[in-house]
Amino acid sequence: MSRLEVTLQARLPDFVLDVAWSAEGRTVVLFGPSGSGKTLTLQCLAGLTTPAAGRVVVDGLVLFDAARGICLPPQERQVGYVFQGYALFPHLTVEANVGFGLRGQPAPLAAARTAEVLGRIGLQGLERRYPHELSGGQKQRVALARALAPEPALVLLDEPLSALDAPLRRALREELLAILEGWKVPAVLVTHDLSEAYHLGEHLIVYEAGRVRQSAPRAELLARPASEAVARILGVRNVLRGVVRDAAADRIQLDWRGQLLDVAQSPALPVRPARGSAVAFFVRPEDPRLLRKDGPPPSAAHHGNILRGTVVRETDLGVTRTLYFRLDAGGAPAQGDYDLEIEIPRFVHQVLQLEQEPQWEVSIHRSSIYLLPT
Amino acid sequence: MSPESLGALGLSARVATVATLVDALVGIPLAYLLARRTFRLRWLADLVITLPLILPPTVTGYYLIVLLGRRGWLGTPLYAATGWSVAFTWYAAVIAAAVMALPLLVRTAQAAFASVDRDLERAAFTLGRSEWRTLLEVTVPLARNGILAGLVLAFARALGEFGATLMLAGNIPGRTTTLPLAIYSAVQTGESAEALTLVVALTAVSCGVIFAATRLGRPAL
Repeated sequence: MSRLEVTLQARLPDFVLDVAWSAEGRTVVLFGPSGSGKTLTLQCLAGLTTPAAGRVVVDGLVLFDAARGICLPPQERQVGYVFQGYALFPHLTVEANVGFGLRGQPAPLAAARTAEVLGRIGLQGLERRYPHELSGGQKQRVALARALAPEPALVLLDEPLSALDAPLRRALREELLAILEGWKVPAVLVTHDLSEAYHLGEHLIVYEAGRVRQSAPRAELLARPASEAVARILGVRNVLRGVVRDAAADRIQLDWRGQLLDVAQSPALPVRPARGSAVAFFVRPEDPRLLRKDGPPPSAAHHGNILRGTVVRETDLGVTRTLYFRLDAGGAPAQGDYDLEIEIPRFVHQVLQLEQEPQWEVSIHRSSIYLLPT
Repeated sequence: MSPESLGALGLSARVATVATLVDALVGIPLAYLLARRTFRLRWLADLVITLPLILPPTVTGYYLIVLLGRRGWLGTPLYAATGWSVAFTWYAAVIAAAVMALPLLVRTAQAAFASVDRDLERAAFTLGRSEWRTLLEVTVPLARNGILAGLVLAFARALGEFGATLMLAGNIPGRTTTLPLAIYSAVQTGESAEALTLVVALTAVSCGVIFAATRLGRPAL
């Protein structure tokens, strides 16, 4: 377990970074769209860029503190860095690359350590190869081995898997986690891929436009995005907007597309929205239920929020299908030509004979509507 | 080949070698600075280094006389202090050749330095290397071929220097008559066989240089 405290303010010609976060856990993931300041943050942590103001503390060790005039150079930070594209020295062999950070040590010790690291990361037999003779996955491992060999106090990984193609990427994700776990070294990873962020990070920090939008342990983040902006960055589907009609202690009524929706008071929403205020909310595509026409009539106890509409399009995702559902109510649909994305398993699609019948009633349980803090 | 021609060949080799060494000492650090640093008056450094490439050699030679001639800005105090002037000596031929060849080295080496991925240097920093050690262990080895190609080009330019050399060093047989000047003199005095020999020698050297520069110009790995 390690603790990171980071406050950074940096001004570039066309970009302002202003972030503050702290995180505990072995792996911290900085997640966000390209150009949101993630790589710049890594460079500040490594000492490759000096921010105008802020503080960087790793497990109680101050690496940077503008107020106290402390700024350790990158050579003294004991921070390993796996660069995007790996930045292996092309004129050096695998062995020399991995041993590059061990120069302070006596040659026999450094050689033994290099051999040990190569062995642990599964690079035996490649010692004499040059980087251009390696596959993408091997390069990634060499970069990791080079960063870990000097036993850094922290390792930074910038898009460690983005240079690889999809199937390899998934396999190496597991391997990367296992290596970080095995070396017991805290890591800060940067990615713009949500599934990667979720898979690799114990703690996730959402970046956008040089700011932190949310910093939370993994489980909390996806269950409870802190805002509409975070929900959109996280790629949450069916992020919608309505107006509060009524707000009581345990339930809220929303007006959306001319429909009245009952919403259970969300634990993520400590503040009760005021009557008449605009709010954002989301509905997970797997939550709405299509009501069988041959079944019993809907009961209020089981089926809140019944909406009538038409399936305008659908996408076959193999195991599941996504239906694009437009309400029959007048007015412009909420998301282009549809109001809701609904995802159903393939067999349900077959049982309900959806290709013959586009008209449906859909129910959304009141606890399936998540209000987002604005 | 006549003794005079042989002397010209020897002098040219000596002048071009020394000029290239001088350019290496000045030009390689300059190329690194231009590739990696931003500083005030950078544009001026750029301009001054590049001008000899654009100006007629006689114009560059004229400026060199203004600067280094016996009555020049630097030449006057030098003559007052030592009673010696650089003009019309073989040193003058070296200076003229070095100034004319410098842009070729700086431009080529600057491009070579700039093509080295900065992340490689950053990686070296995080692995404990100082900026100086990183330069020696990472940047220069990776820019090596480009630097060598620049040196070869500079040597060739120095070997063929005519106009600026004539202006600053003159054409004094045995002292400042380099190969190109000797060819000019041979043609002027009607010694066409002698001229042909020298022309063939210079052409052969130039072909070798082009060959070497092309091979070295290939990127490392």
